[in-house]
Amino acid sequence: MTSEEIIEKVKSDQGEDIQSAEVNLGDAVIFVAPAALHKVAGYLKMDADLNFDYLSHITGADYLNEDRDPRFEVVYEFHSIDKNHSIRMRVGLEEEDPTIPTVSDLWRGALYPERELFDMFGFKIMGHPNLSRLIMPDEWGGHPLLKDYPLTTEDIAFSHNRDFKQDLVKTKPPTR
Amino acid sequence: MSVTEQGLLEREKDSMTLNMGPQHPSTHGVFRVVLEMDGEVVDATEPHIGFLHTGIEKTAEAKRYVHVIPMTDRLDYLSPPSNNLAFCLTTEKLLQTEIPERANYLRVIMCELARMASHLVWLATHALDIGAMTVFLYCWREREMILDLNEEISGVRMMTSYIRLGGVAKDATPGWLRGVRKFIDYLPAKIDEYERLLTNNPIWIDRTQGIGVMSREDAINWSMSGPVLRASGANFDLRKQRPYSGYENFDFEVPLGKNGDIYDRYLVRVAELRESCKIVEQALKNLPTGPYKVEDSKISLPNRNTLKSSMEALIHHFKLVSEGVSVPKGETYVPVEGPRGEVGFYIISDGSNVPSRVKLRAPSFMAIPGMCAMMEGCFIADVVGIIGSIDIVMGEVDR
Repeated sequence: MTSEEIIEKVKSDQGEDIQSAEVNLGDAVIFVAPAALHKVAGYLKMDADLNFDYLSHITGADYLNEDRDPRFEVVYEFHSIDKNHSIRMRVGLEEEDPTIPTVSDLWRGALYPERELFDMFGFKIMGHPNLSRLIMPDEWGGHPLLKDYPLTTEDIAFSHNRDFKQDLVKTKPPTR
Repeated sequence: MSVTEQGLLEREKDSMTLNMGPQHPSTHGVFRVVLEMDGEVVDATEPHIGFLHTGIEKTAEAKRYVHVIPMTDRLDYLSPPSNNLAFCLTTEKLLQTEIPERANYLRVIMCELARMASHLVWLATHALDIGAMTVFLYCWREREMILDLNEEISGVRMMTSYIRLGGVAKDATPGWLRGVRKFIDYLPAKIDEYERLLTNNPIWIDRTQGIGVMSREDAINWSMSGPVLRASGANFDLRKQRPYSGYENFDFEVPLGKNGDIYDRYLVRVAELRESCKIVEQALKNLPTGPYKVEDSKISLPNRNTLKSSMEALIHHFKLVSEGVSVPKGETYVPVEGPRGEVGFYIISDGSNVPSRVKLRAPSFMAIPGMCAMMEGCFIADVVGIIGSIDIVMGEVDR
């Protein structure tokens, strides 16, 4: 199916759960609310014509600098091995409650990317069997891929220059 | 475990916990897995990753697009051109640039050479893990020739950064093309040699056939990709399914396995070595003349000779070096077929010269949970074979 046909079909079958849909640079993209995520994902996998049996990846994104509402986004990329078409599902997440249901019951390959989302962005994945840090050490503080995560901090090595070093412990915007 | 009244440790289960890695030669990097053993059989596994975490995705958010390319080399360090290509194709899709034909052909040649080098390292180390020392030395010998070719065209043996935005770094010289030709004529006989050592070798067959089996459905569900998925019988090769860089113009087969065991993965990868030879051969035969990068001075540097006579070229040169390429606002994902499977970058651009988010879809990262599922229920001696057959590279697992 072409991207236009996929969008057409998804919209007609799951109309009330699809916030919007577009063809972006040739790729089919649908926008879904977190509450409808699991239902739409299940439909994408189980529908005989779509048959998205392969999860390509799950990505988080933080749009803090663009001042967007909602601030966070989770992006799923699905592919169908037999039908050879793909779709991107984008789920906006509120800053106050970044919670999404797991899709690891549908695609077991989602176990690691979802843990990575928790590790790097602090999103809560409901129903994930083992939601713990994946790449960072267990005792790590903060979630590194957030845009407001401090980039330049320095440990205070000696107590006598604590006041001096405080100036260094500040968030600096990335150099452009 | 609990402590009894006598002060002795008492196990709840009749099992033993065995730690493997991170400093273990057969984990191919720094992969740690805790094995719960029931006698000689693996009961449960608990993988630990992150020992090689370098924060490349975070660093990329503070670097210009051009500066990210050398960092992508360090992700899958056994085949840097595939990463370069995935990153450049994604950025070029956002820029909506058409790449000249010659650049596409040179990209294909580099990527296929990298695939061969990567598969040679895989065969060498995998065979060594299982105990075949000779193959290790033979494969290293042939890989060395690819590294020499890399050095000749890009100046670097491994981290080539040869593929750039809008084309490639340098044009190929006739001498280099002759060198590639010579290598392509030389390699097939050597592949026969490896196959003579392994394919019908009873020890090799005993250690690989029927071990680490993954069915087609499981492999798809675990998001395996590349040779592992194809060895399970799923026909999924992005060079055929979603052609990029002109792969649709090449005539090659996608080798498929039937049983999805270690032996089939070996056969698939060895067949891929031969297919790569075919692709490079065709690319050399049909290599078009013309520019090796786009003429658009907003994306690639203007010709050095024009700087002395053209004011405009000088301005473009200055702007490109000091400011870099500004990419239109948007987000996209382009997957390519790396030696390990689907490599892709998801890039979000906020319209500036620095990406807002760069995410790597790494085949090794996605394969780790599936690999550990494969280990459960097999003998401890086969754990090493299974890790080798997946061909993980920790650089792209931990990023």
